[in-house]
Amino acid sequence: MAGVELSGVSKRFGDVSVIDNVSLEIAQGEFVVFLGPSGCGKSTLLRLVAGLEQLDEGAILIDGNRVDNLPPGKRDVAMVFQHYALYPHMTVRDNLAFGLRNTGVSEDEIGGRIATAVEKLEIGDFLQRRPGQLSGGQKQRVAIARAIVKQPKLFLFDEPLSNLDAALRARTRIELAQLHQQLRTTMIFVTHDQVEAMTLADRIVVINERRIEQIGTPMEVYRRPATSFVASFVGTPKINLVPVTAANAGGLAAARMPDGTLLETTIPWDEALARDGATLGLRPENVRITGATQGQAPATARVVERLGERTIVYAALADGTLLTTEDRGDSTVQPGDEVGLAIDGNAAHLFAADGTGHHAGAA
Amino acid sequence: MSSAAVRRVPRAAVIGVTMAAGLMVLPMLWVLILSLKDSSALMADTTTAFSPPWTLVNYANIVGDGQVAVWLLNSTIVSLLMTGGVLFLSSLAGYGFARLEFPGRNILFIVVLFGLAIPEQAVIIGRHQLFAAAEMHNTYTALVMPGLSAPFGVFLMTQYFRAIPREIDEAAMLDGASRFRVFWRVLLPLTVPAQATLGIFTFFHAWNDYWWPLISATNRDMLTLTVGIAASQQNFAQAEGLGFLMAQAVFAGLPVLIIYVIFQKYIVRAVAGAAGQ
Ligand SMILES: Nc1ncnc2c1ncn2[C@@H]1O[C@H](COP(=O)(O)OP(=O)(O)OP(=O)(O)O)[C@@H](O)[C@H]1O
Ligand SMILES: [Mg+2]
Repeated sequence: MAGVELSGVSKRFGDVSVIDNVSLEIAQGEFVVFLGPSGCGKSTLLRLVAGLEQLDEGAILIDGNRVDNLPPGKRDVAMVFQHYALYPHMTVRDNLAFGLRNTGVSEDEIGGRIATAVEKLEIGDFLQRRPGQLSGGQKQRVAIARAIVKQPKLFLFDEPLSNLDAALRARTRIELAQLHQQLRTTMIFVTHDQVEAMTLADRIVVINERRIEQIGTPMEVYRRPATSFVASFVGTPKINLVPVTAANAGGLAAARMPDGTLLETTIPWDEALARDGATLGLRPENVRITGATQGQAPATARVVERLGERTIVYAALADGTLLTTEDRGDSTVQPGDEVGLAIDGNAAHLFAADGTGHHAGAA
Repeated sequence: MSSAAVRRVPRAAVIGVTMAAGLMVLPMLWVLILSLKDSSALMADTTTAFSPPWTLVNYANIVGDGQVAVWLLNSTIVSLLMTGGVLFLSSLAGYGFARLEFPGRNILFIVVLFGLAIPEQAVIIGRHQLFAAAEMHNTYTALVMPGLSAPFGVFLMTQYFRAIPREIDEAAMLDGASRFRVFWRVLLPLTVPAQATLGIFTFFHAWNDYWWPLISATNRDMLTLTVGIAASQQNFAQAEGLGFLMAQAVFAGLPVLIIYVIFQKYIVRAVAGAAGQ
């Protein structure tokens, strides 16, 4: 049985459509991440599930029961907000207990659940403090604890890590992953940070402009992006997108790059690629720096970023097209050097004029 | 406020503020001293106030005189009712304007704001006629009711509720709280600083109000303290009882002083305009 099911969900604010006919099934116990740029509607979609917004069309089911007509408190979901939304005038303990008291859980039971959550999230030291006396990270743990004690069927997170500093964000991310492994409760997590999405998700739902662009495991989304939008949104450094002319070379696609280089790929030929010009997608790790006379294309290094374990080189092709490329960590390339680019045609992606992705190998 | 912030005040400022404070306090001390003198001694020469004998006879007379006690009771009842009423109505209205969607909300709010701009003087005759026609003068209702239309209170509470992030309401709704429970258990407690500010100002205003009680309450038993004391000045007491009059003034000011001492923290904040923090 599906943990959560959205079918044909649409939402408008006034005349502005924010969610357009979205359908989605989330399995029991799955960790799903809604990933998309700012303003794409991912918070709205989450709030529809929570019941904080009313949908205009479609249906939402949790555990097989239709919930879209129920108030938020009756949906058996818990939400962690970006700004924590703790009750400022209550102690941490009362924050945790408030929801349980509302639903008539006995004080004994409340005490037990709080004790468990306190242990999991290590918030025992400040149970009697008020939120104003906590650091951002501590507040976030309390907010998560407040969700856990409710033992809901579904957890909703709206960018819960975005207010934390980098180190704490990474730590909390790991803790969330562990929490999910322990609880095995369905979770929906909203973020615009693709690293969070890649590391946390069982499946990623990439959203752009009111619609779902792709649903897939992190590796599917990375390896077989359904659209050029998904390709450019997932992965750092960003994928290279180069306008090309694609041609049929014996059933496989070959792409003529702007500098004249012909790149042979293992992507099955599709007539859609011939129309109106296509776009070639090359991940930086598939464009390696080699000696000046080697590789498929000559280029000039412009900017060199040394990251330690690898080196990112921004290299210009003969016609000036700039590509993000990778070299070894001990690379000696200097800006201005003439280099060769070894492009892995097997790992290339082609996007038809409408943005649809074409990839090597079976679909 | 940290003590570090207090420490670095220039000496000149301290001296200036002390002197200004002294000037403010001087008339009050004068009133206090006069109230401690027998009226007949003051008749001869007010400078005798600086030399003994001092006496509490004026205060004894106040307590002995049933009339002042009645006025004190009236003032207390009217001020408390008005304060409670304003807090109750302003909180509900503020919540409504800040959180409920209803047609005409913005226009209605503007109408409330217009209320801020209309002085009491402009409406007092009409108000008098209204209460006269309803034969309601000389009742607590008449003394309290006009004060309940408090555009400033509605405005203050609306802004205060608006400043509370909606995420808080939403978290409470997800926690299974009804709309009333969200209001009562979550939002209202967060407005306590604003309630205190509004309550204190309303109470002071009601306590010190002179004009409307003067018009509405003509029956001696319905006078408030301010009107009652002023009325005392027009009889022989004004000529003969300066000490008694001053004792009345001190007496009238005491409740305000007591309130101030209790709610000092909130009053200072309110005046400093930091009530939101
Ligand atoms: N209450 C509202 N009234 C009108 N428009 C709204 C409302 N809430 C959201 N929108 C609009 O809906 C769109 C989607 O908003 P949403 O908050 O879902 O974006 P998001 O993907 O969560 O973005 P972010 O990453 O910035 O949080 C935005 O264009 C926003 O302006
Ligand atoms: Mg959002």
